[in-house]
Amino acid sequence: MRFLRSLTGANLPASVATVVIGAVTLILPMMLNAPDLITYVTIGLSTMVVAGLSLLIGFAGQVSLGQGAFYGFGAYAAAIMALHGWPPLLALVAAVAMTAAIAGIVGAVLLRLEGHALAFGTLALQLIFLSVLNQTPSFTGGAVGLTSIPSLTIGPIAISSYRSYAYLVWVVAAAVLVVSRNITRSRPGRGLRAMATSPAAASATGVNVVSYKLRDFALSAAFAGLGGAIYAFFLGYISPDAFPVMLSIEFLIMVVVGGLGTISGAYVGAAAITIISQVLTAIGTAPTLPPQLPNVLSEGVYALLLIALLRFVPDGVVGLASRITKRLLPTRWRPVAGHKVAPAPAPGRVVLEDAGSPDHDAAAADPGQGTSPAREALSRPLTSTDG
Amino acid sequence: MSALVQYLITGISQGFLLALLATGFVVIYRVTKVVNFAQGAFVVFGGFITYSLLGAGVPQGVSEVLAVLASAAIGLVFGAVTILGKMTPTASLITTIGLAILSEAVAMLVWGTVPLTFSGLSGHDLHIAGIFVQPQYLLLIGASIVVLLVLWLVLERTYVGKGMTACASNPYAARLSGINVKAMGLLSFAIGGALGGVGGVLITPLFPITYDSDVNLAILGFAAAIVGWLTNPGLALAGGLAFGVSEELVAGYWSDANQTAVALALMIVLLLWQSHRRQQVEKLV
Repeated sequence: MRFLRSLTGANLPASVATVVIGAVTLILPMMLNAPDLITYVTIGLSTMVVAGLSLLIGFAGQVSLGQGAFYGFGAYAAAIMALHGWPPLLALVAAVAMTAAIAGIVGAVLLRLEGHALAFGTLALQLIFLSVLNQTPSFTGGAVGLTSIPSLTIGPIAISSYRSYAYLVWVVAAAVLVVSRNITRSRPGRGLRAMATSPAAASATGVNVVSYKLRDFALSAAFAGLGGAIYAFFLGYISPDAFPVMLSIEFLIMVVVGGLGTISGAYVGAAAITIISQVLTAIGTAPTLPPQLPNVLSEGVYALLLIALLRFVPDGVVGLASRITKRLLPTRWRPVAGHKVAPAPAPGRVVLEDAGSPDHDAAAADPGQGTSPAREALSRPLTSTDG
Repeated sequence: MSALVQYLITGISQGFLLALLATGFVVIYRVTKVVNFAQGAFVVFGGFITYSLLGAGVPQGVSEVLAVLASAAIGLVFGAVTILGKMTPTASLITTIGLAILSEAVAMLVWGTVPLTFSGLSGHDLHIAGIFVQPQYLLLIGASIVVLLVLWLVLERTYVGKGMTACASNPYAARLSGINVKAMGLLSFAIGGALGGVGGVLITPLFPITYDSDVNLAILGFAAAIVGWLTNPGLALAGGLAFGVSEELVAGYWSDANQTAVALALMIVLLLWQSHRRQQVEKLV
């Protein structure tokens, strides 16, 4: 159990959950048929996007309504380069770098302003992206899109079957989650967390707020671009219809369902919303029902989920689950004590340091509870944790 | 020449619609510091409710007034969902996004996906500078001016208006002097709803609207409001007119498909300019 804890850095229930989810994730592709494998891959791709967006909203306190555009940009960039004869893997890497660069340019402008500027700016970016796609048929295929995109090849291995994509996507998704988790526990992560609580206090302790937000935003775009690029190779064809504004909003809802700023929430939110949307489509498309019903159902359910969760469960499904398990489990299995009850740390040591509790992740979404990380940051020098 | 006049008249009418939306953004933002993403939904509801009331045989003027009142009530509800209780700014912003999607779902369920319109001001087309103009355009322009003027008088000259201004400049001091800040926030949402409703009632006879018109309207209204830094109604009006006219000119002389993209690019340039200005202010401080 010690090993598990050190592996996941979390409490026992979370460790068990991680192992179970990991095992199920590995076994599932062998049992699923083709349509379900597509859903399975979609969940993995969404997980990548949502992990990035969750970092952005939960830590930088910035809402992006353009993740669908970054996803689409990654897909188109990778597809166009691969169709022009680039090796697919190189096209994939270049597409991710280009997506991050675009976000860097846009973010450098918008992140100096209040949160709503990024929300509307990225939404504008998505509308411009769709408009440009439709206007440049010779380059992007216009409304028809691009077809016969080659499969991904990594060295000598060609990835072509749905099942091999399922494994590839989950390896990449797991890597994205690990990177995200490590970021939240690194110095920039602690800085971001302090920033989410109070930008002024964080700035006063030496956190370069704009630079951290910008890197966070570029990373979230890179994750989205990565998901999009794999999506293009996986399906083999892409069109503007695959990247509507609603896609960006779906990613946002996945973040809120999973819990703002929780890393495991990315997976939970992506899986929950993908499955809910398929169930709703199945219900709505029954014969004798009006044709717009599937959209009404999905938009209505998404909207109500979004509004209700933000109000009543701001730390999402993951936060709720960890609160419930804490209450139900016998004392000795309970999570490592969070920092509300932790003994006072030695001066200069635990600055913004992680106490290994999921509370910590949730703190970003609900600054009203627990000790404010920014206040801690103010009381001790931030620089002493470096090195 | 006559084409230019045509574009200008259409553009100015669109501009006043955007100005009504932008003013709604400004009124709500000043008091609550919330950017109401669902602002475009008020236009859609205003237009659709008028359409249904007219279909039920209610006289035109009564339908229009009722639709505006209904939009104000919807605004009040949206405000209650967004600002009551303990909400962080990010949560409030995402909540208004949720309300915008919910509005689309409701509009789609009740009114379907087909564009709807109704006939506006009757009478012969007017002959202005070599072209014929529907009287509804002039009604839209005139009524918007009157509404914005009345709003300005209310905000500047009445006790309630001064209370809202007090909340805008210092909510804490406003509360200390006995002003109910939350109530003022709700009122600002109701005003925002009414402004959007007026826009919907006036624009639907000219440009049929659909359940999903709200996203484009909200983003262009926001762009106009950004001209006034989200706090200055006068500049927001100027921004609305500038966006409306430039959109029509782009559509007229270049291509329909580009008009929104150009307007949005313009908005990003504006934000760039603002962020540049802010950096200079920071340097001075």
